[in-house]
Amino acid sequence: MRAAKYFLCGAALAGLVLGARLESAAQDVTYDQILHSASHAEDWLTYGGNYASQRFSELQQINKTNVNQLKLRWVYQLRRTGIFESSPIVVDGIMYVTEPPTTVTALDVRTGRPVWRWSADLPKNLLTIGLFPTNRGVAILGDTVYVATIDAHLVALDARTGAVRWNVEIGDNAKAVAITQAPLAIKGKIIVGMGGGEGGLRGYIDAYDAKDGKRLWRLYTIPTTGEPGVDTWEGDSYKYGGATTWNTGAYDPELNTLYWGTGNPAPDWNGDARKGDNLYSCSLLAIDADTGKMKWYFQFSPHETHDWDASEPPILFDATIDGKKRKIVAQADRNAFYYVLDRVTGQFIAGKAYAKETWANGLDEKGRPVENPNIDPTTKGNLIYPSITGSVNWTSPSYSPLTGLFYVDTREQGAYYYKGHPTIDPANPNDIGGGGGQKLVNGDAAYTAVRALEATTGDRKWEFKMVGDSWTGTLATAGGLVFCADSQGNFFALDADNGKPLWNIQLGNSVRANPITYAVDGKQYVVGEAGNAVSVFSLP
Amino acid sequence: MTANRWLRTAAFMLAISALTAMPANPQANPAAPPHSPHPKATPESVAAGKEVFAGTCAGCHGVDGSGSNGPNIRGVGAQMGPEGVYTRIRGGPIGSGMPAFTALDDATVWKIVDYVMTLGHEDAGVATGDPQKGKAIYESSKCAACHAIGAEGGDLGPDLTHIGVERSIVSLADTLNDPGHNLPLDTGLQERSAYTGYVVYRVVMKNGKAFEGMRVNEDSFTIQLRDAEGRLHSVQKFDVEKVEPEPGKSFMPSYKDKLTPAQINDLVAYLSSLGEA
Repeated sequence: MRAAKYFLCGAALAGLVLGARLESAAQDVTYDQILHSASHAEDWLTYGGNYASQRFSELQQINKTNVNQLKLRWVYQLRRTGIFESSPIVVDGIMYVTEPPTTVTALDVRTGRPVWRWSADLPKNLLTIGLFPTNRGVAILGDTVYVATIDAHLVALDARTGAVRWNVEIGDNAKAVAITQAPLAIKGKIIVGMGGGEGGLRGYIDAYDAKDGKRLWRLYTIPTTGEPGVDTWEGDSYKYGGATTWNTGAYDPELNTLYWGTGNPAPDWNGDARKGDNLYSCSLLAIDADTGKMKWYFQFSPHETHDWDASEPPILFDATIDGKKRKIVAQADRNAFYYVLDRVTGQFIAGKAYAKETWANGLDEKGRPVENPNIDPTTKGNLIYPSITGSVNWTSPSYSPLTGLFYVDTREQGAYYYKGHPTIDPANPNDIGGGGGQKLVNGDAAYTAVRALEATTGDRKWEFKMVGDSWTGTLATAGGLVFCADSQGNFFALDADNGKPLWNIQLGNSVRANPITYAVDGKQYVVGEAGNAVSVFSLP
Repeated sequence: MTANRWLRTAAFMLAISALTAMPANPQANPAAPPHSPHPKATPESVAAGKEVFAGTCAGCHGVDGSGSNGPNIRGVGAQMGPEGVYTRIRGGPIGSGMPAFTALDDATVWKIVDYVMTLGHEDAGVATGDPQKGKAIYESSKCAACHAIGAEGGDLGPDLTHIGVERSIVSLADTLNDPGHNLPLDTGLQERSAYTGYVVYRVVMKNGKAFEGMRVNEDSFTIQLRDAEGRLHSVQKFDVEKVEPEPGKSFMPSYKDKLTPAQINDLVAYLSSLGEA
């Protein structure tokens, strides 16, 4: 039945869908639409495709039987070059894509022609400590597009014209706060985190009123004096301990709970001046969306010293485990372990390594790593797996409710970790020592792969090996496909059941953005971004 | 926000192009602000620079400058000179993701410069031959058929324009005697360095055909190789039975029996003079 849902009825249904869309105000997205994004599969309404951040599309016009016929439809070349990592939003025939460092461009999805463009007015002395000046996407709610700027503002733009409706500062860029993530729009609120933890910051996540930009709440990710958990930081290290919130999280509307990962503690590679677990760094936070209060936390890597942020997008799904229906939040962490948690309570259900790691002898019954001895960086260099890039990084995995598999682009690589000076000087944010350094272990043993994990256990079902690095993430579709790409420029589709490659095209430059899919005029499109171009494909 | 941080192969490539194309690149960093003159480099300044480098630069460039998530900068000192390196540190190549290190004091930046200037030099061996004779041997041996110096020469083998900076005396002599013995193998996830592309691979197709070549490119679906005559072979991996490196093998002939030890010394002396700042 799922197959019939959107496309088997062909042009007639496509016309109906299109007609229904035209009756509503163009580029006007209600909370209800996002809530039921599966019923609006022709659009791509949030960074992660839906609130569960599954990056799964119900569209199935492009499927296993015909994906090898995909043809290029149009290409949009960015006007602003740089590191291009944007995951577009598509609504009512308009694609909103961001260009580095912070430009929003609205494109006609039928032709790729620009409709409007807005660029942030950035300071000449922009500080981007430990990050590249880029932007990963926008949020949309009502007829407003929301973008977080590299200099830490949240800006609301008229979705039809790009005119600025409001612009609020959410962090001090002079103190290294910088934002690259896409905000998340929920009912009446815009949720956005921040980055720049290597500059000596205390991380936080904010909610803003979608109408006027008034801040509704702020949750600091590191406790302060008098709060529980501050004793997990030595001395005053909690004041500049990082734990930023630099990647977009997920949302459960029924539980009214946000799920957001936190970054590494600072300084990265030398934890001598911050002894303790360093709560709530390298953790997943469950946050009440109305109040900003933390409901629970789960720390993946206590007292972390390898730069393994826990900022990988979490995915929400429901499953029956041991005969019991569970609401799950799953995360393939940068630390090489895959975690299955109860998203109501934060209880650890299952977890195991999904890539090579040498720092822990598994997880205990509560999901805490059983750390091996001597895993910290040393002055002479300590070889540990995974590398600083982690087993996966900021790119998004996907989850297919049809296969029950979790698809993650995985890196098999170690690094020598070196120890340096242990403190951060907040008055000197350019001194980004990070407490040491690292050197990647290359060679033939290092490789990347798309891996399919059983979502409730983390057991590997298949892998597709890639040559070179991968900074793409995955897209799963009801057509039985998983789309991914590699740093050599191949954009490709795999059979979601067994990983067999079914289609590929060379796009001519490294692909560094999550693929998405959408439909217009009854035709499904997939979007691949390589170099500084958006390339869009469909069946002939 | 570390994801972005040290770890970017593509960024990495941009940074490399920014570095290598500096004079003509409109995005290159602006001129450095007025600054103190370069104090004479000393072993102490190099050591101090190395320490700062380890904490401040190694995250992207690797602790020995050979690259990590940022580009390999070994040898850039010879290409850019101390002033160029200083300017790059102060200004940051715009668009590459490298920040402008404006908060470091001049003395510290110059120490980093002193250390960076040492990267790429290998203190192994002293040239004892005659570089002028070596130049004549280079020409009579027709090395330029495969190698370029500046704009002159072929491209089947490595570009030798800066070989004197990049390789030690011992390494140059070893390579002339046994060209394949120390070729670095594939560097895995990261882009290959200038020399890993010269490893000979044997490709066996599913239809039984086989050939040898040096990898020009390899990605998840295709491989392109150049054979000893310079011809390009491009194959789809689903047609390939196996691709195997042949360690120790090189398309370059050994000169052990073609030249006398004295001639090898002269040729090494000439090669080691190439690329000096």
